[in-house]
Amino acid sequence: MINKIPSFLLEKRSSVMTTQSDAAIGSSFVDKGLNYIAAIIKAGYDQWELASQKGLLQKFDPRVKILFLLFFIGLISFKQTIFAESALGAFIFVLAALSKLNIASFYKRVFFLGFFFGFLVALPSSLNIITRGEVIFHVFEFPKAYDFWGYHLPMQVGMTRQGIAGVMMLTLRVSNSVALSLLVISTTPFHDLVKALKVLRVPDVFLLILTLTYKYIFIFAKTVESLYLAKKGRLARRTSGADGRKWVAGRMAFIFRKTQMRCEDVFSAMQARGFSDDVRFYGCRILESRDLVFVSVIGLAGLVVIFL
Amino acid sequence: MRPILKIENVSYRYYDRIPALTDVSIEVGAGDQFAVIGANGSGKSTLLQIMGGLIHPADGTVYFKGDAVSEKALHNKDFLRYFRSSVGYVFQDSDIQLFCPTVLDELLYGPLQLDIKETEALDRAFQVMKMLNIEGLKDRPSYMLSGGEKKRVAIASVLTMNPEVMLFDEPTNGLDPRTQCFLMELLVALNEAGKTIVIATHDLSLVGELRAQVAVLSENHCIEKCGSSHDILKDDALLLKVNLIHEHIHFHGKTAHTHLHSHYLFHQHKGQVD
Repeated sequence: MINKIPSFLLEKRSSVMTTQSDAAIGSSFVDKGLNYIAAIIKAGYDQWELASQKGLLQKFDPRVKILFLLFFIGLISFKQTIFAESALGAFIFVLAALSKLNIASFYKRVFFLGFFFGFLVALPSSLNIITRGEVIFHVFEFPKAYDFWGYHLPMQVGMTRQGIAGVMMLTLRVSNSVALSLLVISTTPFHDLVKALKVLRVPDVFLLILTLTYKYIFIFAKTVESLYLAKKGRLARRTSGADGRKWVAGRMAFIFRKTQMRCEDVFSAMQARGFSDDVRFYGCRILESRDLVFVSVIGLAGLVVIFL
Repeated sequence: MRPILKIENVSYRYYDRIPALTDVSIEVGAGDQFAVIGANGSGKSTLLQIMGGLIHPADGTVYFKGDAVSEKALHNKDFLRYFRSSVGYVFQDSDIQLFCPTVLDELLYGPLQLDIKETEALDRAFQVMKMLNIEGLKDRPSYMLSGGEKKRVAIASVLTMNPEVMLFDEPTNGLDPRTQCFLMELLVALNEAGKTIVIATHDLSLVGELRAQVAVLSENHCIEKCGSSHDILKDDALLLKVNLIHEHIHFHGKTAHTHLHSHYLFHQHKGQVD
């Protein structure tokens, strides 16, 4: 073999790095891609760890939590007063704290979504152009009032008391709904959550697809991470955007081929273990007394909220 | 003599959670054959990726010829080029490594990255293809290759960059005996040609054949022992402890034999029970 070694491989290279300029290259698309993929995989671990903690909601059966979620989402949607919505928000906060969630990061996500999909969306409706009422905050003034196509533009445009109350209601409703959903998702392992959907009569085949999809997102995220590492290993300089896009397109094709092959392999493996078109999904355990206590408590809490 | 690669008190955790390496320190001399061995999940591949500057440790430092290899250092244009042209990495899964349209493009990618003239790059590519007997594959896309062919192309794609150090992650995994034998000869030949060879493996036969310096990783992700392959491979207690061999009982008639067992050297009868 040594006789076949090409001459260029036998050349001795300069032993040390002699000069080094200050020319720096920023984070390449490879580094950014690696960080992004790592964040996806880490999110999976975070969810799993959080759901496995010994907090209050983690102790209960996922079916009970799904019912709790639906019942309280209904209450949040039907209540018409800010006081009732605030009380619901406080109740969710207490549950989140008792479930040992990281309150700061939990409410960061809640308020982010609440701000964009609640407050910002509803804000224009606080103006007296849309919601009539007592103007308490003037925004601008037209020389005169206008009427066109059935719309009335008042001379003084501003936010009304009724409009602001409506914005607050919508923001609270969105924030509470998001907080409740995140609370249940964060305190329940994903596979248990999927199984619990059986109580809503979601077809087993759909649950199976959901479970497999969730699992293979992480498996393929790890493959993509390896692809980025392999690229990094042979990247001796900064690549142009066009080269980067070409590489990403090529790797997308590779992943597509790989997922197709994996899909066929998984199906064969399922068939080898007795799968026919009839999906049988392993059910949930029998409800324990603590689950029934939880149902009673949320039922009572719901009744209190109804009468608020 | 100054080591070509030095790992000093390195620790690493995947996704800031799963420990992969704990306070690992090793030195690899220039022109050495070096093997990192350990059971599955002991951190061999992670250590190799840290040596190759692909991932960076949470604690500790990696040095290449005395220069610290850090994320910051690799953002320097000159150092990146110097390091990547000096240290080549052959992945366990060749599919992941091969991303160019054809085998020839694959072999040209590295040299062209290093601004080597196209004629010289082509010359290198053809010489390497000849050495590895893959000339006939030059126009094929990588997905049309067999496992052994992919491995050859993956190695060739690194060789055309003419690195001083070559890191091989589980090089013999999934290869047929003939390709394994070819690979073994290739590693020895490359080492004799002056390349520093580092492998991560649990294949003890490969370690024995290479006569490498060996670092044994425990299942606690620490270095359990460093030494010559001769010393390490005869240390049954160590290999048993790190799960690279296991105790096995079988029967000859009514007599039960207990012996240490690996798929390499060990088949030493320790005792028998009637």
